[in-house]
Amino acid sequence: MANEGVAMSCKDLEQALPFYLYDELPADERAAYEKHLESCPACRQTLEDSRRLHEVLAHRPRIEPTPELVVHCRQALDEALDREQLGWRALLRSLPHLFSFRLAGSGALAMLTLVLFGFGLGWTLRPRSSALLDGGKVAPSLEKSDLGTPELGHISDISQVAPDPKTGEVRITVNAERRVTLEGSLDDPRIRELLVGAVKSYDNAGIRRDTLDILKQRSDNPAVREALLHAMRNDPNAGLRLEALKAVAGMEGQELHQALLDVVEHEKNPGVRFAAVDALADHVVRDKDNAMLPALEELARNDPEGYVRMRSASAVHALLGDAP
Amino acid sequence: MDGTCLELAGKFPAEGSRLVEADERELIRRAQRGDRAAFDALVRLYDHEVLRLALKLVGSPEEAQDLYQEAFLKVYRSLALFRFDSRFSTWLYRVVMNVCLDHLRRQKGRSEVQAPSNPESDTEYFQTVADERPELNPERSLKGREIAGRIQSALAHLNPRERMVFELRHYQGMKLRAIGELCGTSEETAKNCLFRATQKLRVALADLV
Repeated sequence: MANEGVAMSCKDLEQALPFYLYDELPADERAAYEKHLESCPACRQTLEDSRRLHEVLAHRPRIEPTPELVVHCRQALDEALDREQLGWRALLRSLPHLFSFRLAGSGALAMLTLVLFGFGLGWTLRPRSSALLDGGKVAPSLEKSDLGTPELGHISDISQVAPDPKTGEVRITVNAERRVTLEGSLDDPRIRELLVGAVKSYDNAGIRRDTLDILKQRSDNPAVREALLHAMRNDPNAGLRLEALKAVAGMEGQELHQALLDVVEHEKNPGVRFAAVDALADHVVRDKDNAMLPALEELARNDPEGYVRMRSASAVHALLGDAP
Repeated sequence: MDGTCLELAGKFPAEGSRLVEADERELIRRAQRGDRAAFDALVRLYDHEVLRLALKLVGSPEEAQDLYQEAFLKVYRSLALFRFDSRFSTWLYRVVMNVCLDHLRRQKGRSEVQAPSNPESDTEYFQTVADERPELNPERSLKGREIAGRIQSALAHLNPRERMVFELRHYQGMKLRAIGELCGTSEETAKNCLFRATQKLRVALADLV
């Protein structure tokens, strides 16, 4: 039903309705719209229907990426960027050789093809886990003699650490004086001791990663907690330091804050360092740990990384209660 | 750009925006010179919001991760071309929008929808989404999930540009002008997309209104 004598017709109103609801109408059109509404019950009804549609649309659940997904995305991007850089470097390295050999056009092309094929093959066949975990760093050879239990004696090798999803127990296969498989829960001190020892000193990154996955379920145990913090600070593998950092994220207390600060101050890998400053800022603010203020202020002022300065300054502001 | 993209970028640190901008500019310059740590820092400034948007548009974490990676790789490859003519956030989100639009178009091309239309599988689709309304009783919660499934299904039937514009205007609260700028189109086109999206949703969800 159209009303005579108003600036907008019912048809105009229908066209303008979404923009009225989203506050996207210019002031004069908005005023005309509201004037028309006063005298048009049909358009008021249409507006009400649209408001109800908005209410229905509000039922869509809030979708938030989990912290695990964020970390996973960052790690995958990190790998992809490594490949990207490696690819260009390999190509650039190969070019001077191509030209110095002064190969004929077809020969140069064949050589370039071989270089690219070789790079592609090498990349395809690379050990995935070590590319992910080692970040180009070679794990120092550690003394396996650090490992052992009174009943098994010296353990020469750990070949598997695996959780049993059905029973919640852990299966550890070790080569001691003979090959032995131990099974038990993390409540078993023998199992726990072995895993704590493995995560702190074993030289196989894959076994350390599996062990970390299991140990992080029991971060309430002091020995496990200490092992996780140790791994976060000292594991030779950047990927595992990051895993350990994720594992300790559920803990609390000044010991954790200090450990995170150590990582921010001494870590060389930017990915781990940024994750550490994120965790440090979140924990310190949440726990209102004012003892960390001087260290955070120092980071906010002098850290060479802009991101670390920003996160630290943000935490300082939040602690001082003057966050915007 | 009126700072809408900065709002979209979410949590910015507490020092004034001038310091943040100065730091960001420094990070960009270093990243343009090949400093990986600086690029990582830039990624961390924006990646949470990029991932959240991707997740909302495609629903599945795996696809969202693909979009995340594709978008930031494109940013990495073309960072040298950024000339500080616009805000970095505008430039970055334009890349992200293009990647998302291409993905939605490919999805449409494969005649796939983001959310299943089968109500039983709706439950599976939303199982990763936390129910934030614990006060609801199970019956109401079930009803809520059904409605959520219907909404997602209706959104999935919009065309990619309508889907994008509606997501940014309705759920992210961006102004149409900024959306037009981000999507590389005019405000008028964004307006038309929003109008068509609203009409389609009104029809698809008529029985719930």
